[in-house]
Amino acid sequence: MPNPYIPMLTKVKSMVSENEVNDIKTFELEFIKEEEYKNFNYIPGQYAEISIIGKGECPIGIASSPTEEGTIKFTIKKMGTVTSSFHNSDVGDTIGVRGPLGNGWPMEELKGKNIVVIGGGFAFSTLRSLILYVLDEKHRKDYGRVTVIYGNRNSGEVLYRDVLEEWEKRDDIDVVLTIDREEDDWTRKVGFVAAIVKEVAPSSDNAVAVVCGPPIMITTAQNELEKLNWKAEQILNSLEMRMKCGIGKCGRCNIGEKYVCIDGPVFSLAELKQMPKEH
Amino acid sequence: MDEKILLKDNIGKLYSELEKEYKFYAPTKVKGNIAFSRISNVEEIELEFLNSKVPPKDVLFPQKETIFEYKYEGKDVIIEERKDLEDKLLIFGVRPCDAYSFKLLEDFFAFGDFQDEVFLKKRESSTIIGIGCNNPRQSCFCTSVGGHPFQKESTDVFLSDLGDKYLVEAVSEKGKNLVKKLSWLSDAKKADIDKSKELAKQAEDSFTTKFNFDLVTKVLDENFEHPVWQEISESCIGCSSCTFLCPTCTCFDVIDENDEYNNRGRRIRIWDTCQSCLYTLETSGHNPRPEKIQRCRNRIMHKFSYYPSNYDCVGCVGCGRCISACPVNNELRLIIDKILEIEEKEKGEKISA
Repeated sequence: MPNPYIPMLTKVKSMVSENEVNDIKTFELEFIKEEEYKNFNYIPGQYAEISIIGKGECPIGIASSPTEEGTIKFTIKKMGTVTSSFHNSDVGDTIGVRGPLGNGWPMEELKGKNIVVIGGGFAFSTLRSLILYVLDEKHRKDYGRVTVIYGNRNSGEVLYRDVLEEWEKRDDIDVVLTIDREEDDWTRKVGFVAAIVKEVAPSSDNAVAVVCGPPIMITTAQNELEKLNWKAEQILNSLEMRMKCGIGKCGRCNIGEKYVCIDGPVFSLAELKQMPKEH
Repeated sequence: MDEKILLKDNIGKLYSELEKEYKFYAPTKVKGNIAFSRISNVEEIELEFLNSKVPPKDVLFPQKETIFEYKYEGKDVIIEERKDLEDKLLIFGVRPCDAYSFKLLEDFFAFGDFQDEVFLKKRESSTIIGIGCNNPRQSCFCTSVGGHPFQKESTDVFLSDLGDKYLVEAVSEKGKNLVKKLSWLSDAKKADIDKSKELAKQAEDSFTTKFNFDLVTKVLDENFEHPVWQEISESCIGCSSCTFLCPTCTCFDVIDENDEYNNRGRRIRIWDTCQSCLYTLETSGHNPRPEKIQRCRNRIMHKFSYYPSNYDCVGCVGCGRCISACPVNNELRLIIDKILEIEEKEKGEKISA
């Protein structure tokens, strides 16, 4: 049994700025040992503990899809010491990776279902992974129709414009983009995510909603879905909590007896209703 | 007869024989308190003590320890794993409650898909010489959590203090091999064994606190939102002594200590506490447990509700350290009483200790 605290080593292959203010970047990492990449079997919705060794480690959702072969990607907003160090790093720098961690989106259970993806802000990363996975030609027939509702504060914050444009061209996926306030040249929706959920009114028939965003967006979107007769079991959420180890030992990410790091980060609304409101 | 006798005068002999093979830890006096330290001289061992201030947990799970070291060569990183995790350790003079805590820690660190190698390797390489409690402290309540002042189960060798000598019992295979090596130990007489049993009985009878923790767990599970938590947390000053001195608390933070001038450093883990508001504070500013009412509740719920759900036992060994350490006397026994009072009020009968 390998020591789970020892990171695998990767190199920054590329880095792309994702937004206008330049504080969100997507890092593409290439494993130094080919064998470690081969064993890095992940599903959308999982995360990894990634580190600039010497600065620190933090949990970040995996933004790439397992169908994008060769590298893994993480989208990181510049916030504290570790994330700022990432933003200061360069192509060729060494990055430590421990993972994949967490349960991820239940891709097996989603088979045969219509999927309504609801995301807000830069939490969209693991949703990007999920959508790319479902749209991949190997998997497309396994899943029903995909509806994406993706909200941001303003147009400059919309991530992954390259893939969004491609999705908009396809006829097996509906992409609804929204921003909080009106802007010149913005031709999509305007309003908070919950209001757009109400407007789009996705059918709960044979469907599952996957929700990821800031806590207030998750709660308001859930409420709208419930008003549209969605059952709590049909609504899946990916939670964030402060965590250090990612393997259920350091303690801090518990909600009641569950640990977000190993029992989550994905919980259904039905599960959350059984848990204390401490997230 | 398998039981042996170790004269207190022969502790030096025991030490000099075992210190060649083991890193030898024992109770010592540090700044006026009893603490488990690695000793280099038998004179350092403190034999007259009720229990240590800091539990011997810190031998296997120190307040601050290296996870791995690293060095930079240009942009490349070389990781150096610890090589001392399998060094043989001997911990002498562990009280039964603390010995039982090693079992809880072992179960916790081995639970789930990920094994905490840093702890588990050290645990496997360690031998525990336990010692019965002739005089349990007033704050002790091990008999309420399935323990006993003379419980041998989680030790390898068990000692009973008979005045000028110890009765020595080998408990585990590891313990049997160790006792076999100490061929100079004399055989115990029936009177010695009887005396040990008598001491065990006396110690057990001296307990004044007895809780029914199955009931505590049930009441906790039903009263997460009860106003009693406001009352319980009111006097808490968040000093965290209860968690730092707890033999079953395992929370830690992870930090990189970087020696920039030498292009190297180490990743360490360091004890952390659920009583601190920083413990759960997220980078965004969001905090799932911002108030002390939630933090006090989390500590009690973790020990007596979440632990039973996950590991089928309470996460407490009844050592009483949190009781004697609390600077505002917001002590566990009173907290448990308040929780049980919820049930009493509902049922209209007295059930707490």
